[in-house]
Amino acid sequence: MKKLSLLALCLSFGLSLSAQKLKTRSGYVKFFSDAPVEDITAENKQVSSIINLENGEFAFLVPINAFQFEKALMQEHFNENYMESGQYPKAIFKGKIEGYDKINLEKDGSYTLTFKGTMTIHGVEQDLAQEVKLSVKDGKLSATAEFMLKCSDYKIEIPTAKADNISNEIAITVKFDYA
Amino acid sequence: MLKKYFLLTAFLPLFAWGQDDLLSELEEDAGEKTTYTFATWKGTKVVNLQTNELPGKGVLQYTILHRFGAFNDDFFYNFMGLDNAQVRLTLDYSPTTWLNIGAGHTGFRKTYDVFAKYRLLRQSKGAVNMPVSVTGFSSAYYTAQRFDEEAQGFERSFGRRMSYVHELVIARKFSQNFSAQIVPTLIHTNLTERSADNNTQVAIGVAARYKITHMHAITVEWVPVLNPNSYPAGVNPADGFNNFQNALSIGMDIETGGHVFQLFVTNARGVAEPYAFSQTEGSWLDGDLHFGFNISRVFTVR
Repeated sequence: MKKLSLLALCLSFGLSLSAQKLKTRSGYVKFFSDAPVEDITAENKQVSSIINLENGEFAFLVPINAFQFEKALMQEHFNENYMESGQYPKAIFKGKIEGYDKINLEKDGSYTLTFKGTMTIHGVEQDLAQEVKLSVKDGKLSATAEFMLKCSDYKIEIPTAKADNISNEIAITVKFDYA
Repeated sequence: MLKKYFLLTAFLPLFAWGQDDLLSELEEDAGEKTTYTFATWKGTKVVNLQTNELPGKGVLQYTILHRFGAFNDDFFYNFMGLDNAQVRLTLDYSPTTWLNIGAGHTGFRKTYDVFAKYRLLRQSKGAVNMPVSVTGFSSAYYTAQRFDEEAQGFERSFGRRMSYVHELVIARKFSQNFSAQIVPTLIHTNLTERSADNNTQVAIGVAARYKITHMHAITVEWVPVLNPNSYPAGVNPADGFNNFQNALSIGMDIETGGHVFQLFVTNARGVAEPYAFSQTEGSWLDGDLHFGFNISRVFTVR
């Protein structure tokens, strides 16, 4: 009987853990390429993200073909020639937020923490550690981060003829409002 | 002892909530979506045939199509055929993602045309599984060529100057690099050259492309006509007339940002569809071939 009650305790603890997972399916990712001939911006509003406040685990998933460009042909070339999204449909980050235990959903506040883990783009895995700004308002958590990624790190080839149109260094903005 | 193990197993589900589960939870949340195939071809034409592709919504496309003089017609004297080039120009616009409308002019027989191209099905996988993309193309051509009514003995009215082409492009992108299509085609000419000719002809075009780099692709296209017009019986072919040939073209697509350059060799010189498909006189075997190019430029006007 004692064992059973212990089991029940453990299981309910497990349930309370999953309740600490915050998710969003309408996260936002923007990228910006600043090259001599043209600037290219694309936005994606179909990014999903999950954050586990019990252990700091943090992940997000970016469907590549959901990036919207100003020009239809740019979007096609992005998917077909550069990201090869038929073959690599998603970009994925998984890792942890360091210092997650400071986050208190009970009261409004903001935190500047570091997220650290593995970023997979175009089938290539790279370690990534960047600053993330987290804020709590009315019990809701949101996260924003701005950082640079290099195309060459992820084996995204930019032909020499296009070097003046597409920058190797891409500015990324992510924004998640968790439910 | 037993209690300890029991405790351990009770905690197992906690360990199982690893990072992979976090990700698979995300994937499950995202649900199954339909992924549409894109960029089956680089351009809206293969060489003479249409592809299933349409320019994006709000895009204005301008194309320049050239067919140079024949290899076997004083090739170098005619500056590699350039001096005898046939030209076609088109301008088209896509008001929606599924419709493209345009107009063109072809030097051969002083032809003016209007056309519409419309998506019927899109290749996709996921929630909706569709093995092929299907696009329709319909075009009407008016020849403004001068006509000797007295010598011919009849008036060439507006209707007698018209011809029509309909293509049903059934395309599939088999892999990132390989795409192919089959194109049942209907060609109708109101006034044929000879009374014995078929007014309506059926062709089954086939075409394929293989990408050799992100920017370059090799293309092949063949348009066999099922009921070709040949010279009526009793006329001597020695008078210099070849039976009509099926159009066969081999080319390369080069994509540079907003342009697609298509360079090829073809036996079809008429450029506009009805002439290229049903009135090609040149034969590959006789070296009656032409260099040609299609160049497209797109502008996002919206």
